[in-house]
Parts: sequence; structure tokens; C-alpha cells
Amino acid sequence: MFQIIKNKLEKLGCDAWELTETLTDSWEFYYIRHQLDQNRAVETRAFEVKVYRLLEDGKFLGSASGEISPTASEAEIDKVLKDLLFQAGLVKNPAYTLTDTPVNGLPKAVMPAPADMAGAFLSAMQHLSETKTEDINSYEIFVRGKTRHFCNSRGVEARVSWPDSMLEVVINARDDEKEIELYRNFTSGICDEKILEAEIARAMQFGRDRLTAVPTPRTDGIPVIFSTSDACSIYEYFADRTNAAYKVQKISPWEIGAPVAEDLQGDRISLEALPELPGSSRNIPVDSEGCRISERFLIRDGVAEHFWGSRQFSEYLGLADSSQVYNFRVSGGTHSEQDLRQGDYLELVEFSDFQVDSMGGDIAGEIRLGYLHRGGKVTVVTGGSVTGSMTEAVSTMQCSEEQKQYDTMVIPAVTKLFGLRITPVE
Amino acid sequence: MKAPFSDYLTERAPALKELVGLLRQSFEYVSVLATDSVGISVRMSQASKSVSGSNMTTERGVVVRVCREGRYSEYAMNDWDAQDIPALAERITRVLEQQFALLKAVGSDTYTTGLLPDEPCTLFVEKNAEILPEKADPDALVKEMMSLSDRGMETIPGALDCIARGISTHISKLFLTEHRDLRQSYVYTEGTLISYAPTESGDTRVVYEGVSGCGGLEILKGLEEKLAGMPQTMKEVVSAGKVVPGEYEIIADPGIAGLIAHEAFGHGVEMDMFVKNRALGSQYIGQRVGSDLVTMHEGALCDESVTAYAFDDEGTLAGDVTEIDHGILKTGICDALSALRLGTAPTGNGKRENYAHKVYTRMTNTVFDSGTDTLEDMIASVKHGYLLKGTESGMEDPKHWGIQCIISRGYEIKDGKLTGKVVAPVVMTGYVPDLLGGICMASTDREVEGTGACGKGYKEWVKVADGGPYLKSRARLG
Repeated sequence: MFQIIKNKLEKLGCDAWELTETLTDSWEFYYIRHQLDQNRAVETRAFEVKVYRLLEDGKFLGSASGEISPTASEAEIDKVLKDLLFQAGLVKNPAYTLTDTPVNGLPKAVMPAPADMAGAFLSAMQHLSETKTEDINSYEIFVRGKTRHFCNSRGVEARVSWPDSMLEVVINARDDEKEIELYRNFTSGICDEKILEAEIARAMQFGRDRLTAVPTPRTDGIPVIFSTSDACSIYEYFADRTNAAYKVQKISPWEIGAPVAEDLQGDRISLEALPELPGSSRNIPVDSEGCRISERFLIRDGVAEHFWGSRQFSEYLGLADSSQVYNFRVSGGTHSEQDLRQGDYLELVEFSDFQVDSMGGDIAGEIRLGYLHRGGKVTVVTGGSVTGSMTEAVSTMQCSEEQKQYDTMVIPAVTKLFGLRITPVE
Repeated sequence: MKAPFSDYLTERAPALKELVGLLRQSFEYVSVLATDSVGISVRMSQASKSVSGSNMTTERGVVVRVCREGRYSEYAMNDWDAQDIPALAERITRVLEQQFALLKAVGSDTYTTGLLPDEPCTLFVEKNAEILPEKADPDALVKEMMSLSDRGMETIPGALDCIARGISTHISKLFLTEHRDLRQSYVYTEGTLISYAPTESGDTRVVYEGVSGCGGLEILKGLEEKLAGMPQTMKEVVSAGKVVPGEYEIIADPGIAGLIAHEAFGHGVEMDMFVKNRALGSQYIGQRVGSDLVTMHEGALCDESVTAYAFDDEGTLAGDVTEIDHGILKTGICDALSALRLGTAPTGNGKRENYAHKVYTRMTNTVFDSGTDTLEDMIASVKHGYLLKGTESGMEDPKHWGIQCIISRGYEIKDGKLTGKVVAPVVMTGYVPDLLGGICMASTDREVEGTGACGKGYKEWVKVADGGPYLKSRARLG
């Protein structure tokens, strides 16, 4: 099928094209408590096609994309391609080029069998430490082997495979009066039993603590500490604002060679793009447009150094050697975790949904669990919300030297933000 | 015109019936859901333009559900040979047997469930739509969206860009068991306008408007009217202040009322959560959870929206459930397997993200009933509070009945009058029974919106719609 579509694209009369075949082999297991609710297998093959036309003497490049079903007849394939060719003539984007850099020397992908990947998760979940008051409510295991075969009209061809897993777990904690739940969604390449055990044990501790929590009181002006996976949202703000699309669309005001905030008084963070990160669910050395992903600084010591992103937007910024990025590392913290935890602060560890809006810079989240450290006393709190502006917080934020990995991101283990507003429960 | 049912599915139906028959020799229950949904997506802005024949709901694939000895299993695929169904049946059986062997090896127990009923039923539904996505003139659609983007740039003060997007999908679904043959075809369309502009402090404020409904691309005409209101809204949000955190009287506009309905007692009564003991609602059936003014419906039959299907992804016919009647929680919504486990009837709310995903209990249209008040009277009754408009996002908490809604903007009301002061954005939090119990006024009008998508936790995205009238209550704002 791949070759049939490729042959048709070569004869279509377009100026350029891209063809991607993605194979997904997924095993899924759903549990209520530790009883199997359902088992599922998913085997799919997807063909994505993008057709390009140069318009107005090459000033513009039009494109249109679509999917072709593996069960499509030749007549259906022809119709899809003909429609795309016409539609590509309607869309006038400033011209850019597809990559023509050959992809050589790709590392040999190690793809475990779904049964082995799933078996590791099933076994890990059955051997968790549970108690009468903290246990597993339900969980869902997804293990996927993915293979992507890409080629374009400029002769670039690449085949990459990677494992991609997800475990959704709901944890209960209870006392004589009430029961609460905590939700976790772990993503990774394959199962890492030790990390899983540690994260679930930590969640169970949070559950125990939440049972004794009191309504969040007024905490005027107190700094806020983030020490869980929610902190990734803070650093996604930096990653998004170094995305070429954000720059071209005028969402990101950052400039190469300029600091990411005026009057930087806090830590000057560095953000690196990585082609691979051990344990990541997105260890894909070649991006979806056939560009090799390079290890490079996007921000170094608080100064923007490079933008990443799609071929189109990268070229508009004059960055022909850029690519999409799936893994990031943040460094630059100058404090120890212990130092950051000195004095009064509010450590927030559970939210309904913590968000840092990369466009607007708004920070928002309803507080489900926090630890208020004030006057040498620790109070467990719940309720209310945290709001603020990341644009303002960037100037004064402090980070730990210690780092922690959450799937595709390595970030400071502890992040301290100043100037956030806490809405108490009154 | 009628949106015609897929020729592809019609052609392949006999082969799929053969598959059901063959698998029935090895399994006690077999169903097949086959999909063939085509669409278009056009996105025009100053910075970038794109056209695609695929969107969130376009798909072509098959999912087979089987049951043996109380254990339900599924196999989803999109590459299969209709000429050799015995080989396909063997492939499905072989893969599932491999999974059974793994489960046995790790000593996994099964949540044993009875057999799904298979009452004879045939259904063929083709809903109306004027302009089908596969028949649309892409040139006209591109020009229409580009014109909206251009005029947005001319009229919206300080706009850095204005994105105009039109999405339409013609959905065809075929559901087969030994005794059931259900076929449906309908079209839904949604259009959105998104503009953003900088504030003096360096933040960016976003203004969003949308139209949606069950129908073809003719629905996008409604974007013209939506564009007209965006310049004023942008002026308001770029100069908006921050709300002083605290509890206030609030008036939720129909969009925010819909968000409350969705997050409060939409997710809160999805009965697959009852099976797992994850929803407090299961303990409150028959009890008061809101004021007398709160009556809430849920179901694909409630509105001709983006999710107005005739049957769900398990072959249950669409319904209209009264979840809350004058403040009393009556029942929840339920997929077929959860209904079996709970000993109740399914409500037509078993939905999949697409054929490759599992069924969960999911919302369709979740709406508050209207009341008898006017918006003017509602504003006049507020001592100090905010009129809330513009949905950004929400998060459910069925276990503890918390609620989080992130709202675009709030218009201050003091002593019964709008002061002209605007705050943005606003985070509304609270305890669901307090919020619903505090509803003391509801307007006579009602709107249903469906431009967003809903996740279960942080995954499994499906189209939903929600709405209601203007509602007055009390909530914590930050």
C-alpha cells in the first residue's frame, strides 16, 4: 500500500509531497480493584499524505493533508489525492521547503513484544503495597509499539520504532468518616517498576494527609512551591514559547539572544532539546517531517538561544536546521531543595487541574492538597485556588539543583514561585 | 437533503455479519461496530493556513467486542480483508487468546459480568444536512474563513491574529450483533473564531467564539454574528483587572451554565464511576443536590447538537434522561456493560473516542432547564458579584464534588447594576451542592453549545454539548 500511494504521489503533478505510514500494536488491560474489567488489542495502520503546490511563481506554498484508509480502493486513493491537489492550490502560505537532509545512522530500535511490556505492568500492579486504608481503586494499562515510516519527494526516508506506555491509576485513602481518591496518569516508554512503586507510595501518603486537611486559610504573599509532576506545566510554558509557531504567530515575544524576562532576579534557567531521554515514551530520533532531532540549548542561562518546531515555522525564522522536539531537560537551579524549603511557604501537591496557559501566561488550579509551612508549623490544607501570571513569575522564580524526570521532561525537583494569589476557603 | 449512509459500510456489512457468525462459535456474545466518517477541516489565520480531509472524528475502522465466561474483550482494526473472513476470525481469536494466556500467567482475576442482551432490532437513520463536508466547495470555504480572519484583524483592537476554523464530519456507523442491525448517518459542524491581543503588562488575552450543531457547513454562517461581538470583548479583556479572591454572587451565562452542568452533574453521574465507587452521586439518588430551580437533562435526544446520534457505540438507542428534577437527583447515565453490572438499563451514553478506543459512560447533551426570570431582573438582584462569560476549561471531581471552572471574564455588578469593570481570567471553585443549592434565579432562554471536547480524566476525547439558561448562584472566585 505504501508503495502504491508513493507511486501515485510521484505522478500526481504536485510540487512536493510527504507520506507517512504509522503502525500501532496496542495491548490494553482495564481493572476494577484488581479484577479485569476488559482486555483489548488494537492493530492499526494509518497512511497520512500531505500534498504541496508552489503558487504565484514560487512565492507561496500551498498544502493540503489527509488520511488514506488501508482498505481504500485504488479509485478512493485517486480521489483523495486529486482532492488534496486541488485544495493545496487554495492555501497560500509563504514558501518554505521540505527537508532534503538524508537520515543516516539511526540507532537500532529495541521494541519489546506487547506481551512482555504488558506483563511487566500487570506484575508490578499486583505487587504494590496496599493497606486497609490506602489501596488501588482501579487502573488501566496501555502498552503500544509504534512504527513510523516516512518519506518525502526530496528523497528523505526514515523508519523509526518506539514503545509508548501509559498507566492510569486511581488510588483511595480512607478513615472512619470518609474516603478520598487521587488520580495519576503515568506515561513512559516501558514499565519502570521502581518509579511506579515510589510514585504510588507517595500518592498514598498524599491521600493519608488529605484526610486530615483543613480548609486553605489566607496566606497573603506567601511563596508557593511545586514539587510534583504539575511543575511540568511551568516548564512547558518555556518550551512552548521557544516554539517557532508561537514566535511566528506573535504569541511569544522572546527573541534569540535576549533574556526571557526583563530584570531577571531569580534563577536563570536553561532549556535543552533532546533526541532521546532514557525511559521516555517519545524516544523518536526523527520528527514527523523527516528531520533529525539534535541535542541543543533552546534557552541558556535565561537567554533564548534557539527556536524549535515544524519545518514551516522554523524556516520563516531562518532556522533551517531546526526540528520538532519531543524531549526536554531544564536546568539552572542554584538552590538545594533544602534551601528552597526554608522560611514560610505553601507547597501545593494536588490539584483538580493545574494549568499554566502558554499563550496568556495565566496560572490557575483548584487546590486539593497543600502543606502550609508558616512560623515553623506545618498545616495540611485543601480547597481554594492558586492563580497568577507566569509572565511575572519568570523574573523571580527559584529552582533546585536537584532534578527529576517525568516521562519526556527532566525538570528541577522543586520550583518556587513568588507573587501568586491564593484564594482561601472562608 | 439526507446525509447518505456510507457505501463502504453497506458493501462491507455482509462480511462483518459473517464475522459475527463465525466468532459466535467461540464466544457467547459478539458485536461489531464499524465506522466510516469523512470530513474537512479548514483553518485560516494571518500567520498560517491549512486544509485537511481529516479531523478529530474522521475515521474508518472496526471494533469487535466478544464475551466468554463473563469476560469481555475487544479487538480493534482498520486493515482487514473482506474476502477472507475465516482468516480474520482466526486472527482476532489468536490475539485475544494470547492475552488470555498472559492474564492466566500473572494470575489475574476477572470482574465477571453477565451477557449483554441481544434483542432483535433494525434501525436505519439518515439525518438532514444542507452542505455535506465531502460535497463542500473547498474554495468557497477557504475564502469564507479567510474573510472572517481578515475582518477580525480589521475590527478587533490590537489583535495579533484572528484564527477562523471550520470543521465538519459526516459520520456513518454500523452496529451488528447476531440479532441487531443498526445504521446511522449524520453530519455535525463546528466553527470557531479565536483572536488574541497583548495587554500592557505583557500577557496575552484570548477571545473565543463558536457555533456548532447537527448539520452541514451551512452552520458556519453563524460565525458572522459571532465576529461582530469580538471587538468589544477584546477591549474588555485586555484592560481587565484581577478579581479580589472571595465568595460572590454570580450570574452564569448559558455557556458557563453548561460548563457547570457538565462538570458538576455530568461527570458526577457517569455510572461507570458508580461501578468503581468513584462517584459520590451513587449515594445521593433520591436526595436533594440543588435548589428547586435545578432540573437537568442529559441525552443525545435533548438537542440537535454535535452529538445528536440515533444510537451509541454499543448499539443502545439514544435517550433523554432527567438526571435532576427540581433539585432531586433522580438517576445517572450509563453505558451497557456498567448497566449490566449495576442491574439497571443503559441510557445510550456508551461512547468511544473512535473505533480504536474503549467505551466509557460519556455525556452527550447536558443541559439545565430554563426558568422564569429575565437577565435584567437577575442583574438587578445582585448586591455585589459578577456576570461570568466565556468558557476556557473545567475539571470534574465526582468523588468529592469539588468543581473547577476557568472562565474568560467576569463583569462586575454592584447594587444591581453592571459597573463596567471587567476581571479576567476568573477561576471559579466550590462545592457542587452549594453551587447548585444556591441557584435562586434562572432565565427563560436557553442555549446549547458544542464547540469543545470532553476528556475522561486526561484522555478519551469525545464531542459533547452543554448549556442552559442564565443562572444566579454564589461561588468562590479567584
